[in-house]
Amino acid sequence: MTDAAKKQILVVDDAALVRTYYRAALEARGFKVEEALNGLEGLEKILLQSFDLAIVDVNMPQMDGITFVRTVRAMELPVSSTPILMISTEAGPQDIAAARQAGANYYLVKPIKQDTLAEFAAIFCGAH
Amino acid sequence: MPLVKRPASDTSPSAPDRAQLATKLLDGTDQERWDAARDALEHPDGLSLLGRALASERVPRVREAIFTALAKIDTPDAASVVLPYLRSDDAAQRTAALDALKAMPSAAGTHLPALLSDGDQDVRLLACEIARRLPADESARVLVELIEREDQANVCAAAIEVLAETGGPSSLPALARCGARFPDDPFLAFAVKAAADRIGAR
Amino acid sequence: MADPPPLTSEELNRLAEFLYRRTGMVFNEAKRYYIERRIAERMSATSSRSFTDYFVQLRGDTRNEVESLINAFTVNETYFYREDHQLACLTTDLLEERVAAKRPGDTIRIWSAPCSTGEEPYSIAIWLLENWKDVDAYDIEIVGSDIDTDVLEAAAEGIFGKRALMRLPPPLIERYFHELDNERWQIIDDLRQSVRFSRVNLVDTKQTRAQGRFDVIFCRNVLIYFDDESRRIAAENLFDNLLPGGFICLGHTESMSRISPLFEVCRYSGAIVYRKPQELRA
Repeated sequence: MTDAAKKQILVVDDAALVRTYYRAALEARGFKVEEALNGLEGLEKILLQSFDLAIVDVNMPQMDGITFVRTVRAMELPVSSTPILMISTEAGPQDIAAARQAGANYYLVKPIKQDTLAEFAAIFCGAH
Repeated sequence: MPLVKRPASDTSPSAPDRAQLATKLLDGTDQERWDAARDALEHPDGLSLLGRALASERVPRVREAIFTALAKIDTPDAASVVLPYLRSDDAAQRTAALDALKAMPSAAGTHLPALLSDGDQDVRLLACEIARRLPADESARVLVELIEREDQANVCAAAIEVLAETGGPSSLPALARCGARFPDDPFLAFAVKAAADRIGAR
Repeated sequence: MADPPPLTSEELNRLAEFLYRRTGMVFNEAKRYYIERRIAERMSATSSRSFTDYFVQLRGDTRNEVESLINAFTVNETYFYREDHQLACLTTDLLEERVAAKRPGDTIRIWSAPCSTGEEPYSIAIWLLENWKDVDAYDIEIVGSDIDTDVLEAAAEGIFGKRALMRLPPPLIERYFHELDNERWQIIDDLRQSVRFSRVNLVDTKQTRAQGRFDVIFCRNVLIYFDDESRRIAAENLFDNLLPGGFICLGHTESMSRISPLFEVCRYSGAIVYRKPQELRA
């Protein structure tokens, strides 16, 4: 897992236990993880440091995940090209379409196994 | 020396009368509606005006000001005006309503038992965050009751998230039983264990 | 000194998450030793028997324990040129952007709130005189505000001890202060008269409105003490106190992201700064 060790992943979710769950899965594969509690804090982190992947929840306080993706995509390169994996409890076609339209690269529906998450992270980071 | 000294500009306007306020709040420009929302709580009739304004307001920052004014009024009636927006189809509106309710914890708390047994699972899920603002004992009590009866894993996860902060040793058996009811949800098993570790047994 | 309490990793997470939500301050495993030391001090001061016991007091805010813990984590000392990277950002980025739409002779207004005993507003004045090439082209008005009238009196008097001046190069001390006795220095009259002081409670809308609108606001290490409702009100007040496109700088461990979605997030010279949108959309 020497590749993964250099890869930085931003986890944006307001639930502490969810962030801990993702962090445990990702760090076990050697990824470096930063956390943000909502979309606005995610924007602050992504402006200060570049990430190989952002994993973003849809429902969050102050700024939701869809607005976060739309805002990132409207920023300047290279920030705007950050791969974004959206995660939600909502599984309807309109929810997935909204995420795609905002600019998310992929959409996963909860519940998600830790292994599954780590596999997706590896694919997006090219660290397979 | 280019730094200049100036007298204070004292231009704070006195509160407008009700008709003026209503006109500004409902029909004014963005700036007038924002200002009126921020002044409305000075009026005895402010609550009903804010409620009407919220129903028609579409500009996010003016909605924010209306929600903040309602939080400042901080009565169960003010919370009642906010509650319907927890059911909005728009994620940003649900989020703004929840943020407002979290800023008026005791007023919102009076509605909590009803919200936690609402027929809509999304409302139950959001209500868990309101419980975070209650005193620890009360928060843990209502959330333990919830996870004992709740059949949606997502709602249980939201409750456990808050119990990790507000729960005590007496919450542990209910946490364990909840985890056992959803053996196929890998996150819930993780959350139950993490919450129990945070609460500790000392 | 008491031994650090045996804080488990998950107990540390519980505490860090609570502080993160309540104050916006960020702590992680890397700061474990630092946190444990502070927690040990507060547990001893509150006669807590265990971490769980202490956490109950903290969460219930018994005898303002949240404020006491924040104080244990923050350097409350104010001194000249504290967080000078923000002052550098002010002259290299923020003011350059503000004057783009101004003409020579126009006014630039800067607000330091809270200003405590005056180190920050006087630092801003000195920094501009020393480091901003356009300082002579504009009328610059600096206002310092605080809720505490005692500190405001001290600020207007402008007398400081050695510790407050520790970061200032000696030539600047010579230029902007005159030495009194017993290692005390007073700000020169010209500079003293160029900063106006006023009493302001940031959650009192009438008081904040009376200050008018500013190009740049420094609001450092005060929102961390407010509860959710007060922070919302303060954020809206500050929004009203900014000109369109104006900037607000918070303390380096603080973030507006847990408080309000009203502002745009900007990055300048490695610092995060918040801007009132230039064009407020209909």
